[in-house]
Amino acid sequence: MVPLSYSVRNLRVRATTTAATALGVAMVVFVFAAVLMLAQGIKRTMGRNGADDVAVVLRDGSDGEMASDIDLPAANLITNAPEVRRRPDGRPDAVAETMVVIILDKLGTDGVSNVAVRGVTEDALAFRPTMRIGEGRALRPGSDECVVGRSIAGRFRGLALGQSFEVKKNRRLTVVGILDDNGSAYESEVWADRDTLRSAFGRAASVSSVRVRLTGAGRFASLRTALESNRQLQVDVKRETQFYDEQSQGTATFIQAIGLLVAVFFSFGAMIGAMITMHAAVAARQREIGTLRALGFSKLSILASFLFESVVLSLLGGAVGALAATAMRFVHLSIVNFATWSEIVFEFTPTPGILASSLVFAGVMGLFGGMFPAVRAARIDILEALRGA
Amino acid sequence: MTTTTQGATQPAPIVRIEGVSKRFRRGGEDLTVLDGLDLTIPEGEFVALMGPSGSGKSTLLNLIAGLDRPTSGRVVVANNDLGAMSDGQLAAFRARHLGFIFQTYNLMPVLTAAENVELPLLLTKLPSAERQRRALIALRVVGLEDRVHHTPRQLSGGQEQRVAIARAIVNDPTILVADEPTGDLDRKSADAILDLLVKLNTDMKKTIVMVTHDPAAAERATVTRRMNKGLLQ
Repeated sequence: MVPLSYSVRNLRVRATTTAATALGVAMVVFVFAAVLMLAQGIKRTMGRNGADDVAVVLRDGSDGEMASDIDLPAANLITNAPEVRRRPDGRPDAVAETMVVIILDKLGTDGVSNVAVRGVTEDALAFRPTMRIGEGRALRPGSDECVVGRSIAGRFRGLALGQSFEVKKNRRLTVVGILDDNGSAYESEVWADRDTLRSAFGRAASVSSVRVRLTGAGRFASLRTALESNRQLQVDVKRETQFYDEQSQGTATFIQAIGLLVAVFFSFGAMIGAMITMHAAVAARQREIGTLRALGFSKLSILASFLFESVVLSLLGGAVGALAATAMRFVHLSIVNFATWSEIVFEFTPTPGILASSLVFAGVMGLFGGMFPAVRAARIDILEALRGA
Repeated sequence: MTTTTQGATQPAPIVRIEGVSKRFRRGGEDLTVLDGLDLTIPEGEFVALMGPSGSGKSTLLNLIAGLDRPTSGRVVVANNDLGAMSDGQLAAFRARHLGFIFQTYNLMPVLTAAENVELPLLLTKLPSAERQRRALIALRVVGLEDRVHHTPRQLSGGQEQRVAIARAIVNDPTILVADEPTGDLDRKSADAILDLLVKLNTDMKKTIVMVTHDPAAAERATVTRRMNKGLLQ
């Protein structure tokens, strides 16, 4: 085996070429890692909302809260199911909420964007133990007040504490508090009083969704069978975790597919860069290769040595790219969630798995980019190489 | 200068070349570089191969070193019929039996003197500490124990060639092949290298086959063979 230090030091000797090639790889890995971190951010943001012992009930066939409609008597029937836990005061531990989407001016741009507004009852916060009012106060039931999620507060006209905005023509809501929930998708929503919202939008006595907390996570199957077999209700019952998983799937998959396509496309450029660099290295070191072969090093060890050099070169670039992508976690990005068609704010979320995949991706680029030059080095005629430059 | 003699007390031949021809095709023309050549080199001999350019001396050296194959005839070195060996077997043969000394030293510029010398030992199963110990001994033999951590760029031509000689002897090869070992050196450095080769031959009983244009170098060998047009004279 040709010593590894031979390969590594050769990279150091031609530092400029090494840096330029590694930079090409770094940029591709940056895109690759950033996309995976974004997709992870989407999944995490949406997945954070889910609890295993909570079931979400929507109208049969609707793929999200926005498209669902359950009338209030049916909602009462659902919340009073025997599998639903009771609060200390005897009422069911459940919330029946309305979702609407409004259009607001986005600050810092000329455009407008959709914002999801959730009509809630006074139990909404208590039902979600991770949520709290970070600033200001909770909204008063029956009032024209609202609280705004941390992620979108200040990003739209009127969505800052103390400001107001038109939820419907001539119907203004005043922001009295900021909602915190560890960066979950709830932080991209506006919460207003359910009845205020329903009257503003002229909705009949119905809600978009019902969430119930089960007496135990194991009671889910029983609740689902009971509700879905009731032909009067015509509802779909899902675990909240599964519900958010499905909600995030479309957006995350779309971002991931587009991003990975771009990364793979550009990786060809980086691989060609590595290939050119390694071809030049083989050409410049013909006599060294000839000498190593003369000393008794096999073709395979020459091949391995140049492949190793190419992989190390790419890994260097990969590490830089992955590290740069990690710095993206300080950047917040808002995109339209396909499930609600409203804006949702994400962070790039690095994980050890993503960093490992990024390095593997870089290594594979090095392997493919270095393959032809390494094969050329291994097949070199010893005598010609010894006479060579 | 002496010539080879055949006698009852002659040591066993380490190199046997029987009816070897080597032909190349160059520019659409057949070129006979070696033409039915016979040569025997006994163990422990220091042979200088001389002759004008194109006489076939380097080709003969390459055949003995297992770097090339004859078009016809047999090359037997240390009881190995090189013509019958695969590329991989030839590589293993070179690693085990050959020590190379090149005109341009051919050291790895990014490795230190000690690392360069250690290279052939990487093909053995010796542990790292033993490899380093042997590399150090080889460097001591060539008088460079104080240049262990120097890279080739930090050494003079003569010192580089001495590192190359240390690399050539570190695995205790059966035979040393030297292709114009003093060709790139001034007289003083060349003489020092030749002194070293003579010492390796006399003290360590190394068989040496050296191609040279330099009559002063050839003088130091025990035997000089002259070649012309692919034949030994």
